[in-house]
Amino acid sequence: MKNPRRRFLSLAGAAAGLVAVAGCAKDAPQDTWQPAGPNAEMIDNLQRPVFLVAGIVGVIVFAAVAWVVFRYRDRGQAIPEQTHGKPAVEITLTVIPVLILIGVAIPTASTIFDLAKTDDTQMVINVTGQQWWWEYDYPAIGDNAAKYGLSQPIVTSGQLVIPENTKVLLRVTSRDVIHSYWIPKLNGKKDGVPGRVHLLRLEGSKPGIYAGQCTEFCGLSHSYMRMETIVLKRADFDAWVANQLAPYEAPAEGTLAKEGEALYIQQCSRCHQVNGLADAEGNLIVSAPEQYVVSGAAPNLTNLMTRNTFAGASWDLLTQECRDVVWKASADEFGAKYLAGVSADCLNQKDLREWLRNAPEKKPMYVDPTKLQETGGKYRGMPALGLTEDQIDALVAYLLERK
Amino acid sequence: MMITTSSKLLYGLGAGSLAAGFVWFVANEGQQLGSVMFAFLAVAFIFLGAIASYTRDGHVLSTDTAAHASSAASQKSVGRSLWPFGTAVSAGVTVVGLISSPGIFKVGVALLIAMLGEWMISNWAERASSSNEYNTKVRDYLVHPLELPVAGALLLAVIVLSFSRVFLALSKSVGAIVFAGMGALILFFGALIAVKRQANRRVVGAILGVLLLALAGTGVATALDGEREQLTEAAEEDHFAHRGCTEEKEYSDKKASRAVSMKSSILANVILTEDGQLYAEATGYPGQQSAITIQRSNPSTILFVNESSEARRMVLSYGKVVEDLGDGVERESALEACTSKVEKGGQQAVTVVVPKPSSASDEPFTITVPGVEGAKIDVFVP
Ligand code: HEC
Ligand SMILES: [Cu+2]
Repeated sequence: MKNPRRRFLSLAGAAAGLVAVAGCAKDAPQDTWQPAGPNAEMIDNLQRPVFLVAGIVGVIVFAAVAWVVFRYRDRGQAIPEQTHGKPAVEITLTVIPVLILIGVAIPTASTIFDLAKTDDTQMVINVTGQQWWWEYDYPAIGDNAAKYGLSQPIVTSGQLVIPENTKVLLRVTSRDVIHSYWIPKLNGKKDGVPGRVHLLRLEGSKPGIYAGQCTEFCGLSHSYMRMETIVLKRADFDAWVANQLAPYEAPAEGTLAKEGEALYIQQCSRCHQVNGLADAEGNLIVSAPEQYVVSGAAPNLTNLMTRNTFAGASWDLLTQECRDVVWKASADEFGAKYLAGVSADCLNQKDLREWLRNAPEKKPMYVDPTKLQETGGKYRGMPALGLTEDQIDALVAYLLERK
Repeated sequence: MMITTSSKLLYGLGAGSLAAGFVWFVANEGQQLGSVMFAFLAVAFIFLGAIASYTRDGHVLSTDTAAHASSAASQKSVGRSLWPFGTAVSAGVTVVGLISSPGIFKVGVALLIAMLGEWMISNWAERASSSNEYNTKVRDYLVHPLELPVAGALLLAVIVLSFSRVFLALSKSVGAIVFAGMGALILFFGALIAVKRQANRRVVGAILGVLLLALAGTGVATALDGEREQLTEAAEEDHFAHRGCTEEKEYSDKKASRAVSMKSSILANVILTEDGQLYAEATGYPGQQSAITIQRSNPSTILFVNESSEARRMVLSYGKVVEDLGDGVERESALEACTSKVEKGGQQAVTVVVPKPSSASDEPFTITVPGVEGAKIDVFVP
């Protein structure tokens, strides 16, 4: 038999190597160790020393345990003398951890309080989770209206757009089950709990896209419940707001998009809102998701093509090439690239078409009509609508103009 | 022997998981997720098994019988303990408190901490040494300085509270007679015990126990009796239903849901001041607001606080519905939610779900107080 000590050492070495290699991931958009705003920096400033202390303690403890297990393993020797009670050791081993924990607790408590501050808020945004996407609405009251040009509320989904270096306060809640909002580079997590409003500070100090995902298991498609926060320069943000609030532009008569509009009214407007869309008699069409969807909401599609991703930020609206242009843009150029939205050339036709063809196949959702007794016939998610390829062409043409 | 008792179990579980992973893979036509989970499970079990093998289950040598009897870890546990039961009950009380009222919740948490503490200390003490006698001593030494004063205070609280409930239920003159009678009784008993030096401690204890129980029982009975009367009265006055949202003089709520746990999840407080001003305090917004937003299709609770001198109610109007009754007949009804009338200093919560955005309505959404001119908060539903 081989030397067991050598075998053990080589195994341990391999394990340690694997762990080390795992830390080499290059493209890690959800890395908590790379803060991109003051709130995340506060957390980072805390977690680094704590990690160091915990790491040292961990190494000491594991080494000691390993040594004891190895050194005193049973080799048939006699049982050593049994004693109990060694006050000096017991007290030392109690006092040292207590001191360490107190040392950790003081900065922790002060960081917690700093992160809970809300009296310096500059902008308030409501964030509502539902199975399985996030809705954002920008209230048109208070400073939002007075200082950020929000004369009307904006409702959007998936991508949260905020101005750079602005203390944004998210009011996080949920329409169905508990979700949790987390953009690792900007701040910690905050649960969205039905019936409650939880506050989360968010501030980005550099324009760009910051990815995150729902971190409270929330059912079937929890893993497809992602989100992004977009940080824009103030001028770009103002342009974004103005565009979101621009009046509805109907497609030109005789175009494919016009056909798409009619189809949209017939098939989609019962769940999805497009602001300003009116029926033949000029009456504004108000969606009624509360009648069809358990959570009572479906994404607002008024400006779908100003976002880069859809369906819980799980798929790109941009082709890979165009996506890279936005995601990899420098901080200075980012705003312009993002505001360009999705053009016909850049549209990721494949995923959007698959979505319209059969959404639940792409993203598992509870939409089987024979199994909806429990929810009184309401869906959790978007059903397959049995559209023909021609209809999908028309709808895509219509959606492409929603920017 | 490499394969010790517990490693046998762990190896078995590991092999079983491997087999299950394989079966899963075959049965689910190549779906991998379950198999991967079982594989992880197998690895974990086998790893634990290997540790168990290596340390021989952490057993004292089976041949060393002396260690079996003398080591602290091998002492039998002392016997049944009530602390786990107590902990479970306190956890129950905590949960009940969580959904009913903050007072009960706090009592639950206090109980939970106490029970857990007692449990931990007993558990530790039972194994402190191999001598049971010493263990009991060590436990009492630690815990008595805390236990005895608390128990004494509780006993006193029961006596005082029961007395006060009983006297609240009695009329003034009867109360005086009972008080005098009781005093005499206590004096008599005390004298008896003092004179009869060798009085059986058990008998005295039993008598005192019965007296205490009788007192507490009467206290509880009288306390419950008083409350029940108020509740029936409230039901007769239609306290629990509040129909219509107008200003009329109907029943006004004397103690409008002061202990509703909904209060912990309020979207906004709406406050009517003494001079008839109405303002809102919404979570996340600084200061006093004259407008609030409510998310569409989202159950939202608004708390009305009446600081004015009149009994008032809060009304939330959020548009109207048009029902099609057939034959071209339509019925229009306003969508409203309101509190019942709340007296000065009272508060009451209302929970609403607003299905439509305010921009889709001809009339603005508002919160108003009927009878108070100009009291209005704008409500936006995006
Ligand atoms: C029964 C209600 C319902 C109908 C009808 C419906 N949808 Fe949806 N739709 C949803 C829901 C719910 C979601 C969110 C699903 C998710 O991301 O989990 C959604 C998501 C979407 C998205 C992604 C939006 C985003 O911002 O993430 C698009 C695009 C979309 N639907 C287009 C359509 C079109 C086009 C039609 C008509 C052909 C349609 N939907 C009909 C309920 C519906
Ligand atoms: Cu979720």
